[in-house]
Amino acid sequence: MSTVPAVSVEQLTRVFRVPGLRRREFTAVSDVSLEVQPGEVYGLIGPNGSGKSTTMKVLLGLLRATSGKCAIFGRDSARVDSREEVGYLPENPYFYKHLTGAETLEFYGKLCGLRGRELRDRIGEMLALVDLEESRDRRLGGYSKGMLQRIGLAQAIIHRPRLVVLDEPTAGVDPLGSRQIRDLIMELKRRGITVILSSHLLEQVQEVCDRIGIIFRGRMLREGSLAQITEVGNRSEIVLEGMTPELMEEMRALAAARGAKWIHDGHPRTTLETLFLEVTSAAAEAARASAGKS
Amino acid sequence: MKVFAFMAIFAVVLIGASFAFADLKTEQELKMLKDVSFAAIQLFCMLFAIAGTAMLIPRDVEDRTLYTILCKPVSRLEYLLGKLGGMVLVLVISLGAMDLLFTGVLHLKQRTVVEQNVAELEYRPFRSQEEREKAVAEIIEVATQQGASWNLQAGMAAILAKSIVLTAVTLLVSTFATSTLFTIMVSLALMVIGHAQGLAREVLLDEADGAVLPRLVAGGVAVLFPDFKTFDVLDAVITGTVVPGVEVLKMGGLCGIYCVLYMLAAWVLFADKEL
Repeated sequence: MSTVPAVSVEQLTRVFRVPGLRRREFTAVSDVSLEVQPGEVYGLIGPNGSGKSTTMKVLLGLLRATSGKCAIFGRDSARVDSREEVGYLPENPYFYKHLTGAETLEFYGKLCGLRGRELRDRIGEMLALVDLEESRDRRLGGYSKGMLQRIGLAQAIIHRPRLVVLDEPTAGVDPLGSRQIRDLIMELKRRGITVILSSHLLEQVQEVCDRIGIIFRGRMLREGSLAQITEVGNRSEIVLEGMTPELMEEMRALAAARGAKWIHDGHPRTTLETLFLEVTSAAAEAARASAGKS
Repeated sequence: MKVFAFMAIFAVVLIGASFAFADLKTEQELKMLKDVSFAAIQLFCMLFAIAGTAMLIPRDVEDRTLYTILCKPVSRLEYLLGKLGGMVLVLVISLGAMDLLFTGVLHLKQRTVVEQNVAELEYRPFRSQEEREKAVAEIIEVATQQGASWNLQAGMAAILAKSIVLTAVTLLVSTFATSTLFTIMVSLALMVIGHAQGLAREVLLDEADGAVLPRLVAGGVAVLFPDFKTFDVLDAVITGTVVPGVEVLKMGGLCGIYCVLYMLAAWVLFADKEL
């Protein structure tokens, strides 16, 4: 197995200058580090304006880092050739409306150097994967939001990238379309493709992601595997089959004695949503408190 | 862009012009048709080059299509060259279609004018058959000189070269402009400066009488702004003067140099643009 991480972000900071007479600056991302291993699905979650999209854009070479480093499979992400390994679906993408689904994939395939039969086969394969075979000759102007997201996902992976970056892939999509996109992400995972996604749908993130980073006001607050970051360390839980209230006091001893099956012993977990809200409101409280003091 | 709507307007102008000057002499009739048609073609191509190009980058940024392109293994210079290439292709196709239509109408007009003028000779008294044949030959010669010929293509080449230079200039402006309207206004201003700078330079240098500053200003303006005077062969084409092939090559070369310079400048600005 490759030891080179699929994505490596080291102490990334990105500062924007605010237009105006006074030279004010806005720090969108501050000292963010993360690493994604090949084949993992990594979820970057945070409220609007927290720095998710900026982090992704720096990773894709669309923005320059003010400081810090980003690498994709060991190659500096600012280099054009690093993008041979990457597919990207931006939030709410609009493709050229006058092109059909098949023409759109042909356009993006050609940008990646695909030609001839290989390209034609790949277009057919991608349309089948995203379930748009019947709409292949329809202009994108007539596509629904969910269909646009799916054709967007197809263009992102047409050149067989090893890494796919999805910025809010289910934004504005109805539950059915959202489920289809979730299934596609699972399919990518099954094919061994590394995925980084940002989403507000925390339940969905919890469902598909192996590892998660919570970013808030440009800072990475928590990062780790789903099991790690949702663990509640100061509590324990026991899961018993056939448990009665009387067994609560002498659970371990009595369970074996009375024939109850011991199922699980470990730490209870909160939901990702609860954790996210706790972490971000605590950080907001802290920020308010420090602002009040100063 | 509604290219076909513009071309339909051109067709109406052309056909209207072919009927408008029926009372003039053979030479003037064909000259006027060429004059109006070339003016319409040039106006269409130059306005299309500016308006079409000004919207390319802002629209891609607004629709986030730019992100999906630049996150592929495509450099920013390749993206700009692709936009220039696309616009040049559209200009070539549009100009080719207008050229065909124009040449066809001019050819028909040439034939009609010759037939009408030869028919009118029936009512003129000639001393001999030889004199009559000489008059007919004169009509044909004038019509051939002013009618459809390969010389018209030199005029088309000049319009294409100017439009390509304007496309490159507009692309350069759109890399730092904050709005499409700003890009269009600046590019229109550059088009006017480009047409007038040759004259302004001559006046400046005449009055400078060897002074260094006016010469530097004139040189700077010549480098920064395209000089469209070099592409002005339309008057010669309209009057029926043959434009030498060397002139056409010179226009092509100058167009290439301007494109390289403006695209390099556009690349420098676009390479660091925050998307």
